[in-house]
Amino acid sequence: MELKQVMGNRRSIRYFEPDKPVEKEKIQIMLEAMNRSSRAVNADFVKGVVVYRDELDPEVVEQLKTPTTTADIDLAPVHIFLYLDLNYVEGAQNRLKELVHLGALNASHGWSDAYVDEVVWATVLKPISSDPGILSYIGAIDAGVAICQGMLAAVDEGLGVCLHAFNTEVAKTALGIPDTWLPLHLLLVGYPSEDPLTGGQRPRRPLSSQFFLGRADQPWEEIPEVTDRLKREGLIQDGVDANKRRAEVRQLAQRFGLPE
Amino acid sequence: MTEAALAEDPLVRRWFESAHLDDDPQAEKDQRLRLLADFCDHTGKSPEELVKGLLRTTKEGDTAISSKRREAMNVTIEEFVDQQGFTGRDAVVNGNVLRSFLVHNGIFIQGRAWRG
Repeated sequence: MELKQVMGNRRSIRYFEPDKPVEKEKIQIMLEAMNRSSRAVNADFVKGVVVYRDELDPEVVEQLKTPTTTADIDLAPVHIFLYLDLNYVEGAQNRLKELVHLGALNASHGWSDAYVDEVVWATVLKPISSDPGILSYIGAIDAGVAICQGMLAAVDEGLGVCLHAFNTEVAKTALGIPDTWLPLHLLLVGYPSEDPLTGGQRPRRPLSSQFFLGRADQPWEEIPEVTDRLKREGLIQDGVDANKRRAEVRQLAQRFGLPE
Repeated sequence: MTEAALAEDPLVRRWFESAHLDDDPQAEKDQRLRLLADFCDHTGKSPEELVKGLLRTTKEGDTAISSKRREAMNVTIEEFVDQQGFTGRDAVVNGNVLRSFLVHNGIFIQGRAWRG
């Protein structure tokens, strides 16, 4: 699928085929997509634990359920518990120098071994690593970039995905999560049992309300020809037909015995 | 509480309207009402008390859902469907009919899904 079509097709999928296995190959594609994401100091911000629901001890599955995640866990065959590794600064000096040696970071833009050794640690990395607030928010941004790539790769493979909150304390014990991993999201994965396009795209506000040109008080003006092109290429799609969607959701609720 | 009286309860009306259940066959509507009526009898609570019992007021004066009481509610629902003799799919469906009443009255709660 073309990239713009993949981005346009992504929806938060909440109804999965609970017993249709998800190929490990497809999960690896998602993980590699996350691994190839853009990241500061070439660090591995995201840690993920892939859990095949039916391979887990049933008692652990029950422990992971809460009154807000029970149906989610029942329906999604694969759960990826995602964390931010707060140790991401470790080894940054050597990774940066590796990038200097490989020509990714160059003198043309001010980079050198000396700069990395003598300046970066003291003025950039040390302040980041010593401030939990900064450490978390910088890391969360890069982790989010990685997670997004994994989600889009899943859509490209015909899978459905949705990010959820989860019971972090239970997961920490059940999955052996280290103290230095900060819980981010539970990424549910499976083949959609709903229309993968959920009857249309969810509403979005116009670019002019979110993006600006030159100054924050000068809204971005859309170029109609570009908008038309993005419609043709699948990034912008028709909105949801609420009546059709309601009928589908009701049918799914009846199939799975869920609240209507 | 009778089904007829229950049908006029404001929170039950809210449930039916929000879930678009009013146009369902009468037998299905009666079945839902009977189940809720039995659950009210089982717990000794009115529909309003079932919902309000799951809410708490925060220090800031806001309304929040009590996690502990919600967990307890899920246990109570499971006990109830078990006591009523429901098994398999019926147990899941009927438990979730009760959760549907709570959901449409603002309580975020999930039960099991039926996987066959």
